[in-house]
Amino acid sequence: MNLKQAKIIILVVVLLLTGLAGYMFYEQRNYKETVVVSEGITEVKKLSNYSDSIKGSVNDTNVYIFDSGKEGGTFLICGGTHAEEPACNLAALVFAENLKVTQGRIIVINRINISGSLATRMGEAYPRYYHIETPWGVQKFRFGDRCCSPLDSWPDPEVYIHYDSRQNLANVDIRNTNRSWPGRPNGLIAERTTYAIMELIRQEDVDYVLDFHEAELEYPVENTIVTHERGNEVAAMTSMILSANVFDVPIGMEFSPKELHGLSHREIGDASNAVSYLAEVAEPMLDRIRGITDEELLLSGKDRFVMEAGKAGLLYAPIDEDGWHIDKRVARHVKTALTIIESNNMMNPDQTILVEGMPSYEEMMSNGVGAYLLDPESVDEGRLYYE
Amino acid sequence: MTMMTHSLIVIAVIVIAFVITKKYKLETEISMIVASVAAILAHIIVPMGVDPRSDLPFTEIVRHLVEGATTYFDVCLIFLTATFFMSLFNESGGVAFIVRKIVRKFHAHRMICLLLLTIIMMIPGAITGSGATTVLTVGGLVGAVLKAMGVNKDKRIALIFILGAMSAACPPINLWAMMAAAGANMPYVGFTLPLLIVSVTGALFASYYLAGKGQKILLDDALADLPEAPEGWNFTKALTPFLVLIVLILAGRYFPFTMPTLGLPFVFMVSAFILYFIAPKKVNIMQTAMKTVENLKGLVGIMVAVGILNQTMTLTGARGLLSLGVVKLPIVVLFSTLWLILPISEGVLQYAVAPLFGVPLIMLFNMLGYDPVISLAAWSVMWPLGDCLPPTAVVGRAAVLELDYKGDYYKGFVKSALVPMLFILLLSSLMMIFSKEIGAWL
Repeated sequence: MNLKQAKIIILVVVLLLTGLAGYMFYEQRNYKETVVVSEGITEVKKLSNYSDSIKGSVNDTNVYIFDSGKEGGTFLICGGTHAEEPACNLAALVFAENLKVTQGRIIVINRINISGSLATRMGEAYPRYYHIETPWGVQKFRFGDRCCSPLDSWPDPEVYIHYDSRQNLANVDIRNTNRSWPGRPNGLIAERTTYAIMELIRQEDVDYVLDFHEAELEYPVENTIVTHERGNEVAAMTSMILSANVFDVPIGMEFSPKELHGLSHREIGDASNAVSYLAEVAEPMLDRIRGITDEELLLSGKDRFVMEAGKAGLLYAPIDEDGWHIDKRVARHVKTALTIIESNNMMNPDQTILVEGMPSYEEMMSNGVGAYLLDPESVDEGRLYYE
Repeated sequence: MTMMTHSLIVIAVIVIAFVITKKYKLETEISMIVASVAAILAHIIVPMGVDPRSDLPFTEIVRHLVEGATTYFDVCLIFLTATFFMSLFNESGGVAFIVRKIVRKFHAHRMICLLLLTIIMMIPGAITGSGATTVLTVGGLVGAVLKAMGVNKDKRIALIFILGAMSAACPPINLWAMMAAAGANMPYVGFTLPLLIVSVTGALFASYYLAGKGQKILLDDALADLPEAPEGWNFTKALTPFLVLIVLILAGRYFPFTMPTLGLPFVFMVSAFILYFIAPKKVNIMQTAMKTVENLKGLVGIMVAVGILNQTMTLTGARGLLSLGVVKLPIVVLFSTLWLILPISEGVLQYAVAPLFGVPLIMLFNMLGYDPVISLAAWSVMWPLGDCLPPTAVVGRAAVLELDYKGDYYKGFVKSALVPMLFILLLSSLMMIFSKEIGAWL
């Protein structure tokens, strides 16, 4: 075999492998997750119903509205801001599939940034999907990038200048839906997405908003509620109730820094009447010091290298042999949201929201998150939605 | 077997595979890809520790390799378009015109000439964040002037490299600081002054140390050695493409909410086409484009291979183990070795080192009471100095390419760069150690 022939063979092999990988990227981009909405659903809208800025884009996500018809407050729950933080869209999904509101309204968005879940994060060796065991089988979800896919927002500028504070941020953050609040209608997709949600908040007269997140254990803002200054009493009470009575690892409470722009806990509160909260829970998969990267780590939240760092006192959250299992992460988020509702009911009775149907923290911990996900084949099509 | 042993074996396999393939004279980029594949094989074969692990089917391995290859897609596009722009300028005679003008004007004022050249070199990297872009756009031009000033070839390439590295470190755009800050959820704020002080001091020291002394420039001899510029060039024509380039970049910066995001590759291409239409000498544009791709094959190949290696190391836990190893070092050891660890790791993984080491280091320094912004700024000046080190040596290679350097890479080029590099590393280390005091002062 001469050099030319060898080159042709190598080229053909590379093209075949690239084609195979290309198909896998295509598959992830087109995979639809199922959502079986709870019987308590009132209406399902598209985000573009609130602003044309997002119409026709992949981020024109479903908006699940649970309206009791009885006067009270309005609460918006946001999941899926960062697709590499799976407890967030799962926690929102548990609400969407189980919730019944008997007073006030709750609006749920499972995936704020669908785009980010349609591609993985280059260089991070993430799995494309993760699978949750349920009583009726296995449900498959997309994992993804922290930011919107470059297929939906490209190229990035040399530096991202936040609208409208003009604060400089890393260029990739122009695709980050938690650096682009309050957004603008003619920006790139992340800015258009957050703008549309701001419109939802204004048009639906939302009283308070909770944005679910997960964080690496090396990060100081960990297992906490970050609140806009208007939410400090509710956040403090929630933190106290959960830390004293429910969670084994306490949940803290922090104020949203005024000088850090683009984040939901700062900008939603500043740009609307709604009070903004952001909940964080530990996810070892996000630590740079993590070991083998696979779906097992994503679900179990157990990593020996992160544990080593913990022994050396380098972490802001504890970690042991039990890790930070997805069931625990989701249960903490769901319980945090429910406790924020309870605390807000006490502090602001005119915004009372009463809910039924949601699993307790203990139930989720013992039965797993899968026990609260519904079988798409067991319900009529009217309750079935795709994301 | 523990996961730590597993990842250690993977690292050993990467090193062994790389050394063997290099011994058989394979190109660096091919060696890195072979090492990545060997790492995955070792990952599959060697037990992964006591905890359950997910399956890794063949299709996912392929996906990881291809995905890793695209990690630096944007950087590769910038390399290609920036070099195309400068090649077009060079072949049209624009470089010859500018060099002759500079030599004629400043031949009697060496210090002013050097200052001017340093400024010219700092601008492209400062606004794009890429040292290779600096070298590929103005490195050849500045190298030609240095030659006319009597700076020998080793010092010439050393200076071009260091100025390229310092331009990448120079604000407003420092990609290492930006990437690490993004990973640590910090805004890219407060970096300008510390980055400016160290990078500009380092650049000026290098310029005057390497090219400050030399024989007096004999104008006629120098001009006779330089290529003639084609008829029809003037300053308006020569500077217009650069002006377009700078205006398009700065427009995005100053009017971010009205100016569409063009991206540097497109900006370079627009500037190149304007250059083509106003240049008095028309060159074959397709030929120049093909030559550019041919010349940059190695550089782009390295970026592709580094992306694959990075993805593989992340997948197998090798990256995490390295990162953990660094942050677990005692602080005294860390202070006394970071000046080596950071450039060496940059030589291996390029920009990927910023989130890899930068994020855990920020968390660690923050925990220990050091100023994370000043410390990160210090590291972000150290990292680009590793761009002349193997296996990637991206900016070093670009400098060799642009200056057509035929000397010994290590004994000539790197050895000449050593003193200014050590000076910059010392300066950065001091800034890191006294970050708290400097932070309070700035």
